[in-house]
Amino acid sequence: MKYRNLPFGVQDVLPEECRILDEIKRRLARKFMLGGFEPVSPAALEYYDTYSQIRNAVPQEHLFKLTDTDGRLLVLRPDVTLAISRIAATKLGGASRLSYFADKWDLQSAGGISGREIYQAGVECLGEEGAFSDANTIAFAIECLNEAGLKGFIIDVGHVGFFKGVLEDCGLNEAESEKVRALINAKDGLNAERILRKAGASERTLNTVLALPTLFGGAEVFDRAESLTENACARRAIAHLRKVSDLLIRMGYEDKICFDLGTVRRLSYYSGIVFSGLVKELGAPVLSGGRYDHLADDFGGKIPAVGFAIGLKRLLIGLERQGNLPPEQPLDAVVCCEVGAEELAYRTYLALAAEGKRTRLRTDYAAADASEAAEVYLATKEGVKRV
Amino acid sequence: MIHFALAKGRLAEESAALLEKCGVDVSVLKKETRKLVLESADGKYGFFLVKPTDVPTYVESGVADLGIAGKDTLLEQDKDLYEMLDLGLGGCRLCIAGYPARRDALTSPHLRVATKYVNTAKRVFSERGEDVEIIHLNGSIELAPITGLADVIFDVVQTGSTLKANGLVVLEEVFPDITARLVANKVSLKTKSDEILPLIAALKEAVS
Repeated sequence: MKYRNLPFGVQDVLPEECRILDEIKRRLARKFMLGGFEPVSPAALEYYDTYSQIRNAVPQEHLFKLTDTDGRLLVLRPDVTLAISRIAATKLGGASRLSYFADKWDLQSAGGISGREIYQAGVECLGEEGAFSDANTIAFAIECLNEAGLKGFIIDVGHVGFFKGVLEDCGLNEAESEKVRALINAKDGLNAERILRKAGASERTLNTVLALPTLFGGAEVFDRAESLTENACARRAIAHLRKVSDLLIRMGYEDKICFDLGTVRRLSYYSGIVFSGLVKELGAPVLSGGRYDHLADDFGGKIPAVGFAIGLKRLLIGLERQGNLPPEQPLDAVVCCEVGAEELAYRTYLALAAEGKRTRLRTDYAAADASEAAEVYLATKEGVKRV
Repeated sequence: MIHFALAKGRLAEESAALLEKCGVDVSVLKKETRKLVLESADGKYGFFLVKPTDVPTYVESGVADLGIAGKDTLLEQDKDLYEMLDLGLGGCRLCIAGYPARRDALTSPHLRVATKYVNTAKRVFSERGEDVEIIHLNGSIELAPITGLADVIFDVVQTGSTLKANGLVVLEEVFPDITARLVANKVSLKTKSDEILPLIAALKEAVS
């Protein structure tokens, strides 16, 4: 019976969930349209080389691979932002605001709320730079989650430049830097300290790196962060975050944002701010994004850009746990039919559907049952009557 | 409410004692019970008693906001969570141990390593560029070199008395400070920071 099963980490979306998913997609698609975004739909299959030759290559153990007829290796799209960046650089000549609803595939996802086929909705603002662009993108992320009906979420904002700057002062090689990054990302100061001491980092630098895991909270973290380092790159990151924070407060989102300078993500094409949407009902972000000014270089363009993606499955789980799923939409009308009255029944259905009513035409000649919908019609040779 | 995943057994008792010092009402943990979900009388804390190796899974998924797990388990599972504090409990070392001189060196060119920490062992030896054969065992690891199943073991060593009694020695200390760590779910730390941060501060105070 194995041929009837699905591989692990993927799911069929059944009607009840799919209806809700469609409703959320409708809301988001409208929001994207009203925000001036153009929809795109990237191809699912791409060349393996596209993702292995770029500077921030996707590790091959995460890629779903297939072989093309000419023997070249193909992959199922592992990241939508990479695909959009490629499209913008190679086909759209740079500046554009793009939105998408697309799957990405990850060979390694752990199961649970992280499947291997991940359906995302997202936007990318290509050719836009500066603090206002960052703040606007975060504001739009908030608008989108509001529009989807999610309550009580916060957007956690960081900046990769702070960590990068602090680490510059440590004298680590690339492999050591990556190790420290992973440890700081896990807020594991203990082992980070060991590596830094071995590399001979100064006491002040060491203290800064070890303070990173605690540098989160409201805008007050900026003062603390500033007192910890003189590094120019780190200082620039804080100054930028201050601007973004100030703009978001003026835009009315003070209670929706918090900051974390210890955020140092794995997928490292990000070059500036990074942010994620968190809600207490779910142990993983429902939204994540950031600025990636140098990603398009790999595809032959120079396009500063910022964007975010919403994990639609996670969003649905969050909405369900909050009890904020869109309400059920029962059938408005059912049309039953006796033998010989088929064309009349069909015309009745067409007329009801034209009024915008969800109408089911029963083709099994069943007797009319008034409990089926608010309006039940029976078509006979004598005509149509409401039951 | 903060949900805690605690490893059943001795570590749970030590963890409870530590939490009590920080003003957490842990009286439910002291009662003899078969219940798996316990709630503190003041309704502030919920406790799940789980298998030690399952603590990171509960915390990563967010079902538990905080957990107390051994560093050995955290190394082995590499979950996406925050390691907030070294609680200093249950100190031991992750070591390579075996007979002082290797037997069967000619007929088994690859070092055979018996361990319950398969992922950690793979990582340790591959970082050194060494080809080894990893043999996964679930307990009584010391038996492997004695019976000839493996050349060495990669396991936690507390006092070393089991090794000694069987003629084995620590060949190399790979991770010297394997202790219990306070771990936090990445989202909970931000969304429940008002409740979690004071507790972490208190725990930090208690263990320093």
